[in-house]
Amino acid sequence: MALLYETISVGDEMPAYITQPITRTHLIRYAGASGDFNPIHHDETFARAVGLDNVIAQGMFIMGIAGEAITAWIDNRQIRKFNVRFLTMTEPVNLDDYDNTKARATITITGKVVDKYEEQGEKRIRCDLVAQDGTGSKKLSGFFIAALA
Amino acid sequence: MADISKLGMEFPPYTIKVEKNKIAEFAAALAQKEDIRDIKPLYQHESTALDAGYPGIPMPPTFAISFVFWTGGGLMGIIRDLGVDVAKLLHSEEEYDYFAPICAGDTITRKMKVADMYERGKKERAGRYFMVTVLETQLINQRNEVVLNAKTTFIER
Repeated sequence: MALLYETISVGDEMPAYITQPITRTHLIRYAGASGDFNPIHHDETFARAVGLDNVIAQGMFIMGIAGEAITAWIDNRQIRKFNVRFLTMTEPVNLDDYDNTKARATITITGKVVDKYEEQGEKRIRCDLVAQDGTGSKKLSGFFIAALA
Repeated sequence: MADISKLGMEFPPYTIKVEKNKIAEFAAALAQKEDIRDIKPLYQHESTALDAGYPGIPMPPTFAISFVFWTGGGLMGIIRDLGVDVAKLLHSEEEYDYFAPICAGDTITRKMKVADMYERGKKERAGRYFMVTVLETQLINQRNEVVLNAKTTFIER
């Protein structure tokens, strides 16, 4: 069921997308897939050497998850622009302390249509989005623009 | 600290073939799947993509970053070239403009340059001083169409 410009309204919400608790294994798989081998994302000794308690997720992993949320709703080819600002670091779940750390590693993407307009001969929407963990900490904020039929 | 003499520097362009298994690997990482067979059919089967009207399996929207990191040592090579201290590196903003789909089977040429480099804040105020670097990347397909522009902004604390 394709989204239609006529039936979508400013204020409509994008369906929420919730991750599994992010593990170190998820970060390493993403590092390999993307080519981001900054050791801060996989080597705890390096993270500690630069003053962090744990490795942290790649910002681009969280942006990619936001992309998953968008493309669960709108076709890849309809996206015209995608912009995010990274706000806070994301620590993965500690498997030896799962219950106390899973909230910080569970990311929810939410979004809302903030504009609809015609541009370059297309009917477009702008949707603001935010990624937030289970403790309420915002990881990134951004927006995308998509062309609808 | 980033070497401000690198402002305007163009990285050597390179050309790569977009490979469907690389897309699947990336899609699996984002979907937190261990098994490629568990990712969306669109990222797995050419027939699904063709039925949906794509010329081939499309890339996830942020797969563009893997073109940025493809050669020259990936992210680590880029920051070495710029003299950036990895211990102080923070990615602050990322933006993509999409002009046409990028699909498996395409041949993409990456052009990238240091578009901006500037200081923000005052050096004497610890924690309030940053060096900002902006990379602009252009992806061009086998038909010589610019299919994507990327803007990557990072700071050194």
